[in-house]
Amino acid sequence: MTVFEYNQTDLSFPRDGRGLVFDIKEFALFDGPGLRCTVFMKGCPLGCSWCHNPEGQAFRPEVMRTAAGERTVGVFYRPEELADKLLGYQEVLKLAAGGVTFSGGEPLWQGDFVAEVMRRLTGRLHLLLQTSGYAPSALFRQVSDLSDLVYFDLKLVDPVLHRRYTGQDNALILENLRRLDRSGRPYRLRVPLIPGLTDSRENYQNLRDLLAGELNQTDGLQGLDFLPYNPATGGKYPALGRVFQPGYDETRPLDLAVDFFREVVKEVKVL
Amino acid sequence: MSQYSASPRITALRDAIVEGRHKKLRTGQVPDVVGVAEQEGRDWPQRASLLTRLMCEAEQPLILAGERLVFTRTIPAVPPYYPPAEWREKFAGQAMHESGPISNICADWGLVLGEGLRQRQTVIRQRYAREGGEELKVLCDTVSEAIDAVLGLAERYRQEALRLGESEIADTLAVVPAGPAENFRQALQSLKFVHSALWLSGHYHVGLGRFDQYMWKYAEADVLAGRLTWDDVADLVAEFFLSLNKDSDLYPGIQQGDNGQSLMLGGVDRQGKTSVNRLTHIVLEVTRTNRLIDPKVNLRVTPDTPLDLLHKAVELTKIGLGFPQYSNDQVVIPGLVRLGYSLEDARDYSVAACWEFLIPGLGMDVVNIGAVSFPYAVDSAIRTALSEGGDFSRVLALCREDIFRQVDRLVEDRQKIILPPAPLYSALMTGQLEERGDLGAGAKYNNLGIHGSGSANASDALAAVNKLVFNTREISPERLLGALDNDFTEDQVLLTRLRQDTPKTGNNDPATDDLLRELFAYFSEACERFQPVNSRWNRVRPGTGSAMYYVWLAQGHPGMLEPVVGATADGRRRGDFFSSSLAPSQGVKVSGPFGILQSFAKLDYRRVCNGGPITLELSDSVFRSSESIGKVAELVRLFAGLGCQQLQLNTLDIDKLRDAKVHPERYRNLVVRVWGWSGYFCELSEEYQDHIIRRHMLGVG
Repeated sequence: MTVFEYNQTDLSFPRDGRGLVFDIKEFALFDGPGLRCTVFMKGCPLGCSWCHNPEGQAFRPEVMRTAAGERTVGVFYRPEELADKLLGYQEVLKLAAGGVTFSGGEPLWQGDFVAEVMRRLTGRLHLLLQTSGYAPSALFRQVSDLSDLVYFDLKLVDPVLHRRYTGQDNALILENLRRLDRSGRPYRLRVPLIPGLTDSRENYQNLRDLLAGELNQTDGLQGLDFLPYNPATGGKYPALGRVFQPGYDETRPLDLAVDFFREVVKEVKVL
Repeated sequence: MSQYSASPRITALRDAIVEGRHKKLRTGQVPDVVGVAEQEGRDWPQRASLLTRLMCEAEQPLILAGERLVFTRTIPAVPPYYPPAEWREKFAGQAMHESGPISNICADWGLVLGEGLRQRQTVIRQRYAREGGEELKVLCDTVSEAIDAVLGLAERYRQEALRLGESEIADTLAVVPAGPAENFRQALQSLKFVHSALWLSGHYHVGLGRFDQYMWKYAEADVLAGRLTWDDVADLVAEFFLSLNKDSDLYPGIQQGDNGQSLMLGGVDRQGKTSVNRLTHIVLEVTRTNRLIDPKVNLRVTPDTPLDLLHKAVELTKIGLGFPQYSNDQVVIPGLVRLGYSLEDARDYSVAACWEFLIPGLGMDVVNIGAVSFPYAVDSAIRTALSEGGDFSRVLALCREDIFRQVDRLVEDRQKIILPPAPLYSALMTGQLEERGDLGAGAKYNNLGIHGSGSANASDALAAVNKLVFNTREISPERLLGALDNDFTEDQVLLTRLRQDTPKTGNNDPATDDLLRELFAYFSEACERFQPVNSRWNRVRPGTGSAMYYVWLAQGHPGMLEPVVGATADGRRRGDFFSSSLAPSQGVKVSGPFGILQSFAKLDYRRVCNGGPITLELSDSVFRSSESIGKVAELVRLFAGLGCQQLQLNTLDIDKLRDAKVHPERYRNLVVRVWGWSGYFCELSEEYQDHIIRRHMLGVG
């Protein structure tokens, strides 16, 4: 059996079974069916150069400083505490055929915690996991099995480029994706469109090959979503005392290739 | 019909109206009504009809290029018909509502279009012939004079059309407004003419009611008969709506734009059957393309309203005009029934200028006699209870007492309101000429409405005191009272704690929501006690709106009866505005739209039914895609599903507003929602501009 590389560097912060959350957003618009609440888990093993939630990267509370003042980002929750808070939205989310989405950061970075929370919500709220897929396979499976729907973010298929722009190899990601696909669990593939990087002809071709080849083995794949580049991506870096250095030309118009994928996937959307 | 797009004719009409070319043609002479009235020795009712007559006679027919629906004001002002001192004398020992004339109600437009004015005249003449009596004689004479005047003006317009070779316009005016409209165009022309005649007669905030209901049969018949296509229908609706923006600068209001040209869409018919039709959709599409502040659009919804209709409504919200405003039938109708409206009438509800529920043709309610200041009630209760060493239940008891006192004071004064005779309006109301007398003496429903203002600030203040003074005892009564007296100038630490470390309405937090509910319960109780004594008014309707009181109660205003309050215990400094209608206090952190809806869903709206919307400000980024617009549509359904009463969704691009303050010349057409109405941002006074910029904003994404 192949052993995939997984670099999890910083879990040393004392947690006592608690999870670190950097935001809980009501009425999240692009995070799943119906009206949703999204829990943003703090900490991510990737370092995507286009990350628009830089406060979600470090697994520790941080202070953001702006002209409006200071605010500490990152609140620890016990699983039952977070579950109770989310159950407070049960009436709203049921009425609106929605649910809770776990996003990040990378929610699987704190996968054991997320699983604990999900177990408390199973059958009461629709659960969605939004993940980069960069997680130990057992953990990935454990949490995705608890999810009603998975949004799998795939950036770059080429391993060299993936390492260059996210800091990690993508072999584990692709393996988790294949496993998810074979499991038959409903999922959507999501590709952030980064000018000149993920919207390249080569990445599109690789993605199409993947969809036409190894994926689509079951009925699990519901569709492919492209997320256009957010021009405000660099907005929060100064508040963290960081400099946004994308390493690509932000102003370059995106190359949309929706039609290129129509034959290999049930539904293609640009959000 | 595919998605509506404006024809070149409509685009040209719009350009002309926006440029205001027609305003240069307002050369008509304001008639000397007082002079003629004195000469003829006219009494009050006869002066009212004289005003209509002389205004109609003084109007110069003006048909603008490209128009199919005609009437444009040429007289820049409506004159008084009594000298000022005598006018005031008419109300001596009684009370005048605002500037006097009947306003803020809605005619039975279905009746007007269906019968025509000549038939209304016949009705009152026959009744007088049948029943006789001085009162009916006056009514008959004044209604006749007013109607003759309007028809005389219509005839002069017809002559002008003939002179210009506009035979279609002439043919239309040969039928309406004298006779029943026979087709859609005639119906719109009749509406345009009679609506304008009400403004000419000194009435204001003249409502348009359930437009998609009373216009439907004409549109449907024309399309079925092949006389019009749906595109033609939309084209005419667009022209009618544009025309409502022609003269609106002449209409009185608190600020420019506050003119009450509101209409209602959707809902159910009098039998309770869903009555959304194609015209409902067309109105939403046309308003979006017109992009002008009139008419202000309202939409009745339920938790089951089809998403395609809501999607279209949200597309309209997206452009930032601040409408449609949504009302929840499942909450409003039972609330009105509880207030004594019959079920059939309640099902026929529309809104007055802003949000106050009103039955067109039957409601002579004065829906805005004033406001209860919740912040004042809370502040005075806190001061008294803390000085006495009382506990929190004492605070609440005092609060209740003060709310009762405020209601009593308003009602005692305002139940003396009398309304001037209104012959023309009387002719346009359901059964008024048949069964009742002049509208000034009342219609089927004659209730008074009171706004409940500053509610979120008030419940937050209560919650803060409960937490910090009574529960944790961290703040001593003396310290709090001292800080309130000094406007927190010497206790910044306490100010910050009150702002950041106390429960806030809008987070689904029972610690403050339960108090909000309690405040409204006191208010309902106070209003339900009202027993009319020697009063022509029946019930008192408590509401959740604020209108301009979010400003006035904080800063004062000449002539108002309501008390002004200084710094408040929610951490609001002296003079800062309160939140508008149902919205979190300004500047407080809330969990988001769900928290806001959940907080306000806790009110018992069956007992609070004068209107006043939950106000959500959404960032324009929310409307980026069809998918996200769909989410906003689901949010509207959620509002209804949670049992809330009324919702106003506003779209704001803060950067644009800031820039507009600096460069008004670049933003002449920038429209914003102010309270129950929308206006041009650059025409608002600075204090209102600043408030809009500071308003709570939910950047979602």
